Amino acid sequence: MFIDRLTQLGQDIAKLWSQYSASFLLGVRNTLILAVVATAIGCVIGFFCGVLQTIPYTKNDNIFKRFFLKLLRVVIRIYVEIFRGTPMILQAVFIFYALPYFSGNAIQFTNKWICAIVVVSINTGAYMAESFRGGIISIDPGQTEGAKAIGMTHFQTMNSIILPQALRNIMPQIGNNFIINVKDTSVMFIIGFTEFFAYHKMITGATFKYFPSAVIEMAGYLIMTIIASLLLRFVEKKLDGAGSYELVNADQLVMTAGTYNNPEKGSPYDEHSKEYPDLSERRGR
Amino acid sequence: MDNQAILEVSHLSKAFGKNTVLKDIDFTVRPGDVTSIIGASGSGKSTLLRCINLLETPTGGDILYHGKSVVARGFNPSSYRAKVGMVFQSFNLFNNLTVLDNCMIGQIKVLKRNREEAREKALKYLDKVGMVPYMNAKPRQISGGQKQRAAIARALAMDPEILLFDEPTSALDPEMVGEVLSVMRDLANEGMTMLVVTHEMAFARDVSSDVVFMSDGVICEQGDPKEIFSNPKETKTREFLSRILG
Repeated sequence: MFIDRLTQLGQDIAKLWSQYSASFLLGVRNTLILAVVATAIGCVIGFFCGVLQTIPYTKNDNIFKRFFLKLLRVVIRIYVEIFRGTPMILQAVFIFYALPYFSGNAIQFTNKWICAIVVVSINTGAYMAESFRGGIISIDPGQTEGAKAIGMTHFQTMNSIILPQALRNIMPQIGNNFIINVKDTSVMFIIGFTEFFAYHKMITGATFKYFPSAVIEMAGYLIMTIIASLLLRFVEKKLDGAGSYELVNADQLVMTAGTYNNPEKGSPYDEHSKEYPDLSERRGR
Repeated sequence: MDNQAILEVSHLSKAFGKNTVLKDIDFTVRPGDVTSIIGASGSGKSTLLRCINLLETPTGGDILYHGKSVVARGFNPSSYRAKVGMVFQSFNLFNNLTVLDNCMIGQIKVLKRNREEAREKALKYLDKVGMVPYMNAKPRQISGGQKQRAAIARALAMDPEILLFDEPTSALDPEMVGEVLSVMRDLANEGMTMLVVTHEMAFARDVSSDVVFMSDGVICEQGDPKEIFSNPKETKTREFLSRILG
């Protein structure tokens, strides 16, 4: 009995696929393009929100700077709360109908792509703003102090020291958001955007083969997300750089003066070196 | 020889909320001085050093750098900090950069040196602290003693007028303390102006030209190290030294 159903399922899927593979693949393409573009834009939004939110100010700064930075934080806070706190499906409807409503139908989203990208980007940006803020404040304050101590400004410190480390730390979050976007862009069918899931609705509308189509959809989404996971892991590994380093021989250097003379012997300060001075008695312990 | 003071600290005080940690601190650093600040934990030594480098904002008094107040409004802390090097207890090497890049970034970004010049200078000081073989390593790949030596090279590469050391050996395993102290000893012998917060009494006694003993946020006694170690005048100094030297 069960075996019969499985064979039947196989046949149904094969039939659906032979008939509609072009539609399914077009859906996959649209979903992927939307997810990639919107995640990228969302990251840029989140990046700026995170960086602007973490500009420090003290009581000694002038009142305009303090006011401006405070205002900036409040605005970003409101943006994050609104777009993190409402369903994306509703945000899509909200934005899609806001333009014609206020302009008396003069301005409309004629291009569904633009509307979908705007909605998903803004939504992702709200999450990424928090990710970036978290990534920045999680870096050891010692890193900032080290940079300050050699005279680096806040901008230089952010640019050269904090952001490279923060970015590495939030890579998993960016990946998370990308995978969420691959799946959750499915709600964009509400504004008539034809991504992968929208084709399921169309195809089942014509064939009534709900379950076989759902199986294809499930497999399709899983394949997309698993490939995305693998790619992200690979990127993270690349970002970590080499796990080892090479010792540099002294003769490759321009500088030869000083204490370091023979790589075989190690440096005089190397505790494994035979030349390592015994300081115990000088330290008086 | 220029006898003009590099740093003059006068009536400096610092409070965190209602908790006063520094009271009426006065002392002067002249070129070539090696001043050790000693005292029990919590006596305000590190806070004093952090105030001098403006990592903490003093709540009262003044710090003069070549006669100019560094706490005045409109003073640019960046160029001042570039001239006043700091070595931290927890090293604070930049984790995303190699040892060599750690020593170059400040020169390039702050002093606007070109890469070749910065590299040459970085190598010169890495050589001085015996860290050239490890110049391509990231901070997480080297030992504590090596990190601290790299951090000293990073500070030196900025050609500072004075180096501040905030308990540079306190976070190190005992067998690594020696390598860092011997670098510091060499620097002192070469005439580097240094202000050292330390628990290494042998260093304070044998290397420094002045010793400042702090207790409960005030300077209890200061002067010649031989004098203070062999013949402390204040009871608190005597108690502290007998406790720590055993």
